[in-house]
Amino acid sequence: MSETHIDKKLWLISQNELSAWLDGIAEARTLVAPRQVSKSILYRPVANSKEIAWQSQFPKASPPIRPTLSIKEIYFPSTERLFTINKNGQEIVLKETFPDWETVVFGVRPCDARGVKILDALFLDTNPIDVFYSRRRSNTTLIGMACQSLRPSCFCTSVGGAPDDARDVDIMLSEVDGGYLVRAVTEKGRFLIPGGEWEETGDHFPSPKFNAEFTLAKKGKLIEHYNDPYWLNISERCLSCRACAYVCPTCRCFIVRDEMIKSNEFERIRCWDSCSGKNYRRLAGGHRPRAEKNERMRNRIFCKFYYYPEQYGLGLSSACTGCGRCIEVCHAGVDITEVLLDLEKMG
Amino acid sequence: MSENLMLPYLAKIVEVRDLATEIKLLRIELMNGGSEAFRNFQPGQFAFLSAFGLGEAPFGIANDSGRGSAIDFAIARLGNVTTGLHELGEGDTLGVRGPLGNWFPMKKFKGKNLIVLGGGIGGAPLRPVIQYVLDHRSDFQHLTILWAARHPSLLVFTDEYDEWRSAPDTDLYLTVDNPDDKWNHDVGLITQLLEKISPSPANTITITCGPPIMIHFVTKMLQEKMGFAPKNNYVTLEARMHCGLGKCGRCNLGEKLICVDGPVFNMEEVGGLLETFL
Repeated sequence: MSETHIDKKLWLISQNELSAWLDGIAEARTLVAPRQVSKSILYRPVANSKEIAWQSQFPKASPPIRPTLSIKEIYFPSTERLFTINKNGQEIVLKETFPDWETVVFGVRPCDARGVKILDALFLDTNPIDVFYSRRRSNTTLIGMACQSLRPSCFCTSVGGAPDDARDVDIMLSEVDGGYLVRAVTEKGRFLIPGGEWEETGDHFPSPKFNAEFTLAKKGKLIEHYNDPYWLNISERCLSCRACAYVCPTCRCFIVRDEMIKSNEFERIRCWDSCSGKNYRRLAGGHRPRAEKNERMRNRIFCKFYYYPEQYGLGLSSACTGCGRCIEVCHAGVDITEVLLDLEKMG
Repeated sequence: MSENLMLPYLAKIVEVRDLATEIKLLRIELMNGGSEAFRNFQPGQFAFLSAFGLGEAPFGIANDSGRGSAIDFAIARLGNVTTGLHELGEGDTLGVRGPLGNWFPMKKFKGKNLIVLGGGIGGAPLRPVIQYVLDHRSDFQHLTILWAARHPSLLVFTDEYDEWRSAPDTDLYLTVDNPDDKWNHDVGLITQLLEKISPSPANTITITCGPPIMIHFVTKMLQEKMGFAPKNNYVTLEARMHCGLGKCGRCNLGEKLICVDGPVFNMEEVGGLLETFL
């Protein structure tokens, strides 16, 4: 893993020091962190560190916390207002407002931070720049938390990531005996770290060794099996419910529509959508390309491992972060790693 | 211009007329800065039109920018947005976002024979091509127009056929699937008409727009029966879109996005991908 952090300084801080630091951040900015919401853990604004779901609150052998939804929603909310519309006879007035509050996200998993990097390629690095995304992006600082183990569905190591991958966060934390090791990865992260108050330590940042579990099919293999009957079989059980895209850190398809606020006032919004949906491509008049489940599942997998990286010049073979959420959320047991392993094994 | 690329320009409708059954021509003039953005739009480009409160949808621009500052759109009433647009009248305000997408490389077509094949409302984005050729007539060789619809009442731009026919070196052929009593042109699919004319591929470019299935069979016939090279068969494609900016993901054709890589393609670029579009 390439080291991109700005200095080699490492701090060792206690849980109390960490909590006090986060409490201070929460006073001046919006602090978002994993929080227990009913039966789920979600990245949500917290008033102080007591509201955060900590790994230490769970039994020792529990898998690492991975919020149900990725941090995608912080930059690219599931519903976002693009502008409002006031209609007064033939007169139309459009008004827009942009997000401009400062946010710090704590407890970000490396796979989720990778997801933001992948979305950057589309929203920031490919013209035209999306103003909503870019405002949120520049106003947000990410504090990462390395995973100490993998969940059964995790496969970040097979798509170029790692449980301690610090490339895409501003500050990286790792749990150790007696507290947390902290290091700044970017200038933006360094800015948040309180100077002399913390104890510097000579310890190396722990880097547990995780090996790639699988060899997943790549672009060439996918193209070769584009017309394979395999897609018919594997997609048979898909419910077209789109949950996989909803929880995905990198699925970014959206729909744009107008909603009424009150009689003469409307808003134009964009909402998450997914190519797994039956009417995703339906045109007025009824023509519905990609009508079959096998075509839609194939498109989603091709998008992750071929189309998206190609369209937005990712320089990577994959727009998948290996977070495993789609595997856990699928009611029909569709497993993206199973599909890619099957394709890899095909002649 | 706002940083918000989803914010449309406002435009006034200056003319509405019926083009065909349930198809209207909306002629608009842009307001507040929009006219600058649309100064030099090219044949084949498209724009999103907003019926405020109902939403927006993409439409091919139906005139050439050389024909004045007004912009034409042919709107078939098919869904919520198009129904909303049909309800607007002269003086009403709508939203316009664009011009978007690539265009027909008209300069590259100089000195060539052109065959334009339009099916139904698919003729709309081809009208700027025809206008451009007529307005730069000596730049091109022979112009052949094959114009088709399901029924005579669905043919678009009928009041311009005389202008097209009377242009030098220009032929117009019409066909419909289901003729009425007054019909005195060809009957049948556009491919039947094409087979009858059987054009030579020598120094010739074809430009096709229509329902996906028509594009499929027309380009297949041009290549397999008439010997056209795929790179000389241009098409303009349509897909459901929600941004037109390469972001919303909806209009992909394999690894290409119709909104930013198209809507104009030659068949060398998209031949293998077209089946996903049917």
